[in-house]
Amino acid sequence: MTNAHLKLDGLAKSYGRFVAVEEFSLDISEGEFIAIMGPSGCGKTTTLRMLAGLETANRGQITLAGTRIDQLPVWERETPLVWQSLALFPFMTVRENVEFGLKMRGVSRAERRRRADDWLERLGISSYADRNVARLSGGQRQRVALARSLVLEPKVLLLDEPLSALDAHMAIKMQGELKKLQRELGITFVYVTHSHSEAFSLADRVVIMNAGRVEQIGSPQDIFLRPRSKFVAQFVGGISLLEGRVSDKEDGKRFLDTPDGKVRLAHGAGLAKGATADLAVRADRISVTVEPGWGENEIACTLISEEFAGAVVNLHLETASGHSLVAQLQQRDLEQLDASIGARVYASWHPDDGFLLESTRQSGSSPRVRAA
Amino acid sequence: MTFPAIPARNSGRRYQSLFQRAWQALWVLPLPVWLLLFFAVPLGLLVAISFWSVVNYRLTPDATLSAWRYVLGLDFLWASFWRSYGLSLSSAVAISLLAFPASYAMAFVATPRQRLILLGFAIAPFFTSYLVRIYSWQVFLAEGGVISSIVQAFGGNGESLLNTYFALFIGHATLALPVVLILQTIALANVDRTEISAAANLGARPGAILFRVILPAARPGLTLGLLFAFLLSYAEFVSAAYLGGGTFQTLPILVTDLVRAGQQWPRAAVVSLLMIASLLVTAFVTVLWAYREKG
Repeated sequence: MTNAHLKLDGLAKSYGRFVAVEEFSLDISEGEFIAIMGPSGCGKTTTLRMLAGLETANRGQITLAGTRIDQLPVWERETPLVWQSLALFPFMTVRENVEFGLKMRGVSRAERRRRADDWLERLGISSYADRNVARLSGGQRQRVALARSLVLEPKVLLLDEPLSALDAHMAIKMQGELKKLQRELGITFVYVTHSHSEAFSLADRVVIMNAGRVEQIGSPQDIFLRPRSKFVAQFVGGISLLEGRVSDKEDGKRFLDTPDGKVRLAHGAGLAKGATADLAVRADRISVTVEPGWGENEIACTLISEEFAGAVVNLHLETASGHSLVAQLQQRDLEQLDASIGARVYASWHPDDGFLLESTRQSGSSPRVRAA
Repeated sequence: MTFPAIPARNSGRRYQSLFQRAWQALWVLPLPVWLLLFFAVPLGLLVAISFWSVVNYRLTPDATLSAWRYVLGLDFLWASFWRSYGLSLSSAVAISLLAFPASYAMAFVATPRQRLILLGFAIAPFFTSYLVRIYSWQVFLAEGGVISSIVQAFGGNGESLLNTYFALFIGHATLALPVVLILQTIALANVDRTEISAAANLGARPGAILFRVILPAARPGLTLGLLFAFLLSYAEFVSAAYLGGGTFQTLPILVTDLVRAGQQWPRAAVVSLLMIASLLVTAFVTVLWAYREKG
């Protein structure tokens, strides 16, 4: 897994002064499932379109299996894309749609038909082969779109929010099928999505983008447990952030001075005294009590709201200085917690459960226009 | 004081539904009125007149087949019919082909704003009367006219271009080209751009994209353009008379000849009915083909 199969090296794209993608570099191994996610307009789709050749990068290179492809025209690239809108051809039957790419490659009629029928069979839509695509259900159309790309036997399949047109139930079903298909075929998937559940359950590695920049690349666990920046922490959700200044060492322990009091940092938090830092604590690591004195790091809060999410409940708290914290409790713990909305409660956590964010870059309205 | 709450609400609902019906009727009623006034009544009249007779140059209500017998017995009727049909069909095809590159540019090259401005220019000829436009073409095409003078200046013969098929075609194009441009541009502009990108992504080169994706996707609109060019050219009289000079006896020319020669309205009505029937069949077949779906 050391030599990159698909290599994106310093890709950049701007439209006039608007920077859509800024320095995107990623080495993808053969058969890897990569999810690129981020909010609308973060550059994830532009990156995918550069891979497909639908956008020309201003800078950077793309190499596929050792061959540079970024200067090839779209029609010479072997990187089929599954579109968000599916973009099936409504004036063709299902089979004609699937055969289209083969026809463009000059594959003979008999061979075309054999290969298309193979894929229709494999995806369970062979009984619709002669139907108009407009007469199919969302899930069936989705399969046609997949078959149309996969029949070309690509080494890389690009997917642009392919499940967003489906209802929730169908989307989950297709997620499972996609993952299975990708494992069986062993081809590389580059999957753009804004859905956390799709990215985290499908991908081997997740790329989080914001405002044209890559914020973090890592395994779903990595990103979920160790978000590197404030943006990723907020984007992933379920993480409380406390801003503060690193204070003096006392008995070999490091502390962070926050507007809501002093909290202890984990060992090995190597930051100089006086530096500003963001402390992150996952919601499931925060305990809530009505009486103080239960934990080492404790902050007095007001209980703002309860949000039920199946077996767990998220408590939204507000500190005296107006910071928001979120704590995740089991239902039975909530029953034991005798607090109503507006009550004073205490949030506490073990110092080892807090971690400092590596990057303290501001999220949200960062400047996206580079000075010319 | 108590209000009979439920009856009051009921009457409110009744009032609402009455209002809704009146509102709908306001929009629906004109349709049958227009159809009756501008289609059914004239057509009925035309059919009726075709069975009337002409006595002493006067149209007289009657129930005779003589007009039908006369017209269908004309040895040049079917020649005129096929000439009309063939001329307008070739004009329609030529106009569609001429318009296509311009429509393509407006749909795919121009920005939406530029497209509006260009379409405005395409419609601009409608600001002058069709008759005036045809007369000005005479100035261009006649012997000693603009074109012939230029040809003569280069040592050519410079004979009149009037009374040729070319002149007739110019007339047809003057009438139909703007309409075809508009229909084609709308059809092409509405082709889903993602489908075009998807085709390229699947390996289609620009030529294949045009013939395998853009043309099939825009087929209904492109065919309607062709159909309109045909309908307009088929029923066209002004340029057939003033540019074609009656050299090509088309059905509209035949109609005027019949009326002129002894007020033969019933015979003219028969020719008109033949034209209407052939147009309806053509339009029906074309529209069926344009909107045909696979699978």
